Amino acid sequence: MKTLIKISWRNIWRNRTRSIVIIVAIILGLMGGIFGAAMRLALEKQQFEDTIGTQVSHIQIHHPEFIAKPEARFRIPDGLQIASDLSNRDDVIVASPRTVFDGMAATANMNAGVRIKGIEPGIEAQTTGLDELLEEGSYLTENGRIPSILIGNALANKINAAVGSRLVLTFQDIEGEVINASFRVEGIYSLPSRAFEERTVFVKASEVNEAIGDPQAVSEIALVIDNQDEYRNIAAEIQELYPDTRVRHWADLQPALYYSLEVLNEALIWILIIVIMAVSFGLLNTILMSILERARELGMLLAIGMKRAKVFSMIVIETTIIALFGGVIGLISSYGMISILNRTGVPIPGGEGLGELGYASVLYPSLDIDFYFEIVVVLVVFAILASIYPAWKAIRLQPAEAVRQE
Amino acid sequence: MKTVIKTTDLTKIYNSSVAPVKAVDKVNLEFGEGEFTAIVGPSGSGKTTFLNLIGGLDKPTEGHVMIDDTDISNMKESKLFDFRLRNIGFVFQSYNLIPVLTAKENVSFIMLLQKESKAKMEKRAVEMLEQVGLSEKVDVRPSKLSGGQQQRVAVARALASKPKFVLADEPTANLDTESAFNLLDIMSRLNKEENITLIFSTHDQRVINRARRVITLVDGAVSKDETFDR
Ligand SMILES: Nc1ncnc2c1ncn2[C@@H]1O[C@H](COP(=O)(O)OP(=O)(O)O)[C@@H](O)[C@H]1O
Ligand SMILES: [Mg+2]
Repeated sequence: MKTLIKISWRNIWRNRTRSIVIIVAIILGLMGGIFGAAMRLALEKQQFEDTIGTQVSHIQIHHPEFIAKPEARFRIPDGLQIASDLSNRDDVIVASPRTVFDGMAATANMNAGVRIKGIEPGIEAQTTGLDELLEEGSYLTENGRIPSILIGNALANKINAAVGSRLVLTFQDIEGEVINASFRVEGIYSLPSRAFEERTVFVKASEVNEAIGDPQAVSEIALVIDNQDEYRNIAAEIQELYPDTRVRHWADLQPALYYSLEVLNEALIWILIIVIMAVSFGLLNTILMSILERARELGMLLAIGMKRAKVFSMIVIETTIIALFGGVIGLISSYGMISILNRTGVPIPGGEGLGELGYASVLYPSLDIDFYFEIVVVLVVFAILASIYPAWKAIRLQPAEAVRQE
Repeated sequence: MKTVIKTTDLTKIYNSSVAPVKAVDKVNLEFGEGEFTAIVGPSGSGKTTFLNLIGGLDKPTEGHVMIDDTDISNMKESKLFDFRLRNIGFVFQSYNLIPVLTAKENVSFIMLLQKESKAKMEKRAVEMLEQVGLSEKVDVRPSKLSGGQQQRVAVARALASKPKFVLADEPTANLDTESAFNLLDIMSRLNKEENITLIFSTHDQRVINRARRVITLVDGAVSKDETFDR
């Protein structure tokens, strides 16, 4: 076996140029594939952060009827207690209680339908980082005569409002009575999602709770959990604890995002499999050429009594060594490349416009170390598959024919 | 003298596209232990085919090849591989050596396949390389050796594992006169010293007279079988 590996290794370097060409092809193929994969993953993460991190959170809890009729009367019984109990769980980082209902926002000459969210500013900052999304103004810190409101950039443009503008919100209280309340725009936030910006306004929970007539009101609890992969289990567990509420996780709330991420994951694997397959065909061709060139020598080996199985293994080993050689260098280079890009960031071509929309214009690719090992395994499997045909060709040589000199 | 190889009505017919070719035609021969035999004849007379048949590289169309008490004409492929490995040494006209191995590694190769111990293998390889006058070239790869030196390494390899007999198909065909004589002298000496049965084919008049027995083939049939005392 040792000699077999030694012979295989030396055989690889007989035609140095050819071996180096295929090894470089493997290296470049892997680097390209891994770059693509890492960029896709970064995009995926970015999208997830944009939507789940700042808007949806991992899990949301509501009164079951609230989902169809987002009105002030559908509150979570004992909502504050539940929120505080949940935030004490080990697997929950933060639980933000909110008072949520639909209403109208009007300036002197324009109005728009909005979703009003009454929040605890401190907890909300931990949950969605709302305080960091402000473009102008401040984060519900003023305690003026007129209560403060935060509105989205898109809404501000739509109804002609600016920091300092007066807004009138119209909504129903818990009894269904129509209420008008005046607010002053304290800050304007900005998010990638225009629809969210246009529809969602934030005020202090204490202000709206008083207005709707229930100081303890909670109609939504948003949860940020510790282990993102556990969202389904945790949601199910919480649902069981509070059967009178409706508990939904982010995949329920954003099915389109969920499926697009799933598709991305699939695509990722296929990109790499296609790259590795292409590389394997190159490898097959290289090995086949070297077999055909060495027909007499291989025939001689068979003639003097080297078993076909041994000759077969020799060729499989040769192929595998080339694949491993290129694979290891390719993965180390890829790792270096991804590490550097992770620090410098990769600007998305034409991404300046995205930046204005609030989307990231620079991606920071990164990959799990496991991923690299998986690629080595896939590469070696494909290399072995690619070596089977040339190896089979080699052992089909008839020694008497191969050694015959005409 | 003990018989090592015995052929009975050994016949090989190739079915070429034009017409069937009788490459070996009802050959009945015996080779005794320690013999040094040349198979001679013009090109196309069936020398290679005959050697391939008695070496178990090819199957006869008719007839039998007995090695000691074993009939190899009907032996299964997989068994033949092992049989060749254990009993027969081969020297071909060229492409004898593994280019990526040194002379010593090449000479050890058969013993390696036979799973000899490393120490024994090394000792024997070096000894054989000395025997063929290449003690200086032990760690040199074939590409750095002359044609004659390469053939000497091949002879050393064929004999190193002490096979029952050694077959050499036109071993001098690619060599200049001096190298050809030198190779035959070495073969002749080793045949005597190691008492290994040696059969080589040639159409080269220069080296025929080195053999102690000369068998002449014409159109695949034996036309002369002479013995000389030398
Ligand atoms: N594979 C083959 N198919 C058909 N004819 C062959 C084949 N091999 C050899 N022959 C023919 O058999 C005859 C003997 O060939 P060979 O044994 O090579 O002779 P030598 O070695 O004496 O030159 C020749 O006529 C040759 O053309
Ligand atoms: Mg011939």
